Amino acid sequence: MIEELFLALPMAIVVLGAFTLMLLSHKKGMNLDRLNLVAVFFLTISLLLEFFSLGDHSINYLFADLFGESFILDDFATIFDLMFTAGAILTLLINNDYFKSRDYINGEYFALLLFSVFGMMMLSHAHELMTAFIALEIASLSVYTLVGYHKNNRLSSEAMMKYMVLGSMTGAFYMMGTAMIYGAVGATTLSEIALYVNAHEMGELSLVIVGASFIMITIMFKIGAVPFHAWIVDVYHGAPYPITMFMASTFKIAIFAIALRLYLVDFASINSFWTEILQLLTILTLFGGSWLAISQQTVKRMLAGSSIVHSGYLLIGISSLGLGSELAAPAIMFYLIAYFLSSAGAFGILSFIASQSTKQMRYEDFKGFAGRRPYMALLMSIFMLSLAGFPSTIGFLGKFYIFTSAIESGQILLAALGILIAFISVYYYFKLIAMMYFYPSEREQKIFPINISTVLITMMGLIVVWGGIGTSLIPFIPGADGFLEIAVQAIQSLK
Amino acid sequence: MMAYILSFIIFIPVVTAALLGLFRAKRRLLRGGAILSSLVTLFLVLMVVVQFDPHGGMQFIQKSSWIKSSGMSYFIGVDALSLVILLLIALLMPPLYIYMYHEDRKGYWYNMMLLQSGVTGAVLSLDLVLFYLFWETMLLPIFIMIGKYGNGMHQYNSMKIVLMTILGSMSMLFSILYLGYVYFETHGVWSFALNDLATLEFDPQTFIWLAAGFLLAFSIKIPLVGFHAWMAPAYGSAPTPAVIILSAIMAKLGIYGIWRFGYGLFESILTYYAPVIIVLALIGLLYYAIRAITEDNLRKMFAYSSGSHLSLIALGLFLENEYAWSGSLYFIATHALATTGIFFMIGLTYKRFKTVHISELGGIASALPRFTFFFAFFALSIAGLPGTGGFVAELLIIIGAFKAHFWVGVFTATSMLSAMLYIFWMLQRTLFGQTRNSCSDYKDLSKREVAMLLPLVIMLLVTGIAPSLFTPFFEPYLQSTLHDVALSLGSLR
Repeated sequence: MIEELFLALPMAIVVLGAFTLMLLSHKKGMNLDRLNLVAVFFLTISLLLEFFSLGDHSINYLFADLFGESFILDDFATIFDLMFTAGAILTLLINNDYFKSRDYINGEYFALLLFSVFGMMMLSHAHELMTAFIALEIASLSVYTLVGYHKNNRLSSEAMMKYMVLGSMTGAFYMMGTAMIYGAVGATTLSEIALYVNAHEMGELSLVIVGASFIMITIMFKIGAVPFHAWIVDVYHGAPYPITMFMASTFKIAIFAIALRLYLVDFASINSFWTEILQLLTILTLFGGSWLAISQQTVKRMLAGSSIVHSGYLLIGISSLGLGSELAAPAIMFYLIAYFLSSAGAFGILSFIASQSTKQMRYEDFKGFAGRRPYMALLMSIFMLSLAGFPSTIGFLGKFYIFTSAIESGQILLAALGILIAFISVYYYFKLIAMMYFYPSEREQKIFPINISTVLITMMGLIVVWGGIGTSLIPFIPGADGFLEIAVQAIQSLK
Repeated sequence: MMAYILSFIIFIPVVTAALLGLFRAKRRLLRGGAILSSLVTLFLVLMVVVQFDPHGGMQFIQKSSWIKSSGMSYFIGVDALSLVILLLIALLMPPLYIYMYHEDRKGYWYNMMLLQSGVTGAVLSLDLVLFYLFWETMLLPIFIMIGKYGNGMHQYNSMKIVLMTILGSMSMLFSILYLGYVYFETHGVWSFALNDLATLEFDPQTFIWLAAGFLLAFSIKIPLVGFHAWMAPAYGSAPTPAVIILSAIMAKLGIYGIWRFGYGLFESILTYYAPVIIVLALIGLLYYAIRAITEDNLRKMFAYSSGSHLSLIALGLFLENEYAWSGSLYFIATHALATTGIFFMIGLTYKRFKTVHISELGGIASALPRFTFFFAFFALSIAGLPGTGGFVAELLIIIGAFKAHFWVGVFTATSMLSAMLYIFWMLQRTLFGQTRNSCSDYKDLSKREVAMLLPLVIMLLVTGIAPSLFTPFFEPYLQSTLHDVALSLGSLR
């Protein structure tokens, strides 16, 4: 029991932190700096505890006598938890200046962020459909509120309404799907569903398949796959920068955590049913996202559009998974890590700029950026190159693994299409680099401020490059190999 | 030291650039560092040349695992083919830096150093993913240099060259991935090393598609006619050092790519493409020459001229006989020297007269004798003046063409004629004729400029007068490679 408590601590500490923050935010003498520090403190402890419990397989289910098989403990969940807490810490620290520059942000903001991290951690541990739903809703509700936090801003409120109404509706699909699966199986734990699915022929499983398809609709909505993408550009645009960063890099990963768990373990044997549907969705997502990304004028909206494209690449991985590719699951994990690093970095820089001015960041506003802020421009270029999948960055290896997995599963055309889309993406990412470098700056060079956000962004830039060219020959610094090992470790613990 | 010498040659420029950038070097230090790094690499390359064994095949090999789990390796080595281009890069960098001597914009110097590392790495790497990495990264400095320091519609043209080149390299990436996967499937381990992948066997249909992926990338880089939309705008907009790297080195890398990876991986299947490419190259030869005749902008004119000559090199390559191959390899070197010279002269023309349009120039000869001598010499060596290296090379390719087919030979021979046509007409209008600018206001070449041009003149003359000095270096390589090609063709039939 004591050991179980210890293993539950990472999640508990995040909730505890959230409550503490709610209380502290009304205490006199607390400013945003201190609240931020408190939030980071709790998250860091949780991160460290997660890190040390990695590879501990003494207990399979958390509080098994209380919750049954609702919460699973495996490396897969722990590695995702690490990414969530790291993502939240990065969000909080990088955006410290941004928080201070906006007067509508107060203590509850940090509490909500921690609640949503808690929801995501629960989601990655969830081993039962209802638990997963509750976890998803905890995370989503916090994010809905965070998106609409700037309530005097029209765009922010619009984004919140759009996201919440559509999100709740797709939540209903999830419930419906769960009910159908329960109707067929008589249980909602994933292991029993897997047993049932394995024991029956494809023809007898129609209810489960329909139910799982409904669940898939929810997942597709959350990751923004076309045709469930209508919300994504407006919501990303309306949300404050830190939340856009959090949604694009961290929340999206959480959805993939549950998707991978469901479709790798649960519905593994009926995956082939969705192959064509998934392929169609993938193609739509890749083209739709590219079109959206190309047609945008502001960088934030372009990144929103491109996040759809990245969902498309991940869907290539998922559909290869359905066709039995061995490489696909680690490839998806690796791609998630790569995308997490590069998009968090890119949004981090945007938010850094936004903390200094209230400009809408259109492409034109970046003219001469390299002259004003050479180091920032260099880092932004690194993140853009990584998102475009340029070699010598981690993004290249991410795409590399995804496309090889597609080739392995025999989807040659899908791999070729992915490469074509990667080529199209070069246009809108390089457009930003071109804007930054090709025009002379009207104002003179600014000093590179050394504070926590710039140091972190620089570190992420270095990791992005090192993750692409880093070799295991140099000891103690894990390069690309290290990231892949993490990915493989996570996937192996699932089976 | 000797074991790692190639790594030093690749990474000295980029490491110098990184260190200088880290310490925010002032302009003079930056210039000194760049020149020093280019001299050190030149010295190291000369050491490689001295120790190079013409019969030794691939030498100075360094192979270590890079990203172990997916079988990418850091695999570099040099043979006669890459040695030629390696030597060219090392020889051209110091004159380029002398040309840039008074350049104030610091980004220029950084980009040049990155570029040197990129092209050197691409020439030396024998692992396909490593090659792809260098192949793509060498594009970034060019992108920035054209876009930032170029003229005309430089932003647009820079985007154009990058997008077109990346379209090619993406198709190559697909072929690389497929090859790597098939190797994994048959052997159970990942590898992207050239000699491993060369052992794979496919049905001809797949082979043709895979080769197409590579050929697209290289055809765009050369560019063969039909893939040349980026060429004239990019040459027209790029600053002089970037133009020189583009035409003297990067275009040659397209040829090099076909030679190394095309013949290395798909030797039997390239014969299938040979008629197509030979026809494209012949069309290119004439089309580019005609465009060059009608072109008024000197930069674009020599862009087309360069396209015409690169078509000739590609033609020689696909003729697959010994004359044509030694001609092609020789032409890679001599054309790079001549084209560097002429683009230097165009750059100097712009510095003096603030224009590169033939219609706005004229009567330079009477006022600037030294300038005129060098300009005429490089222009004529482009046209294949006997006594310069280009003549020997073109002659060899033409002989090879006649050996392959009579009519191919006839068409190939027109290259020399058409080059004479546009070169002489251009010279007549720019150097002689009516004085358009009041030339007496302009200074003749300075000592620094002569010092930068003289080595090129000497090298062109030596390659032209005594080709037998160089042939022993690459003849064994050509013979053995041709032998392999013939063997694989024999086994196909």
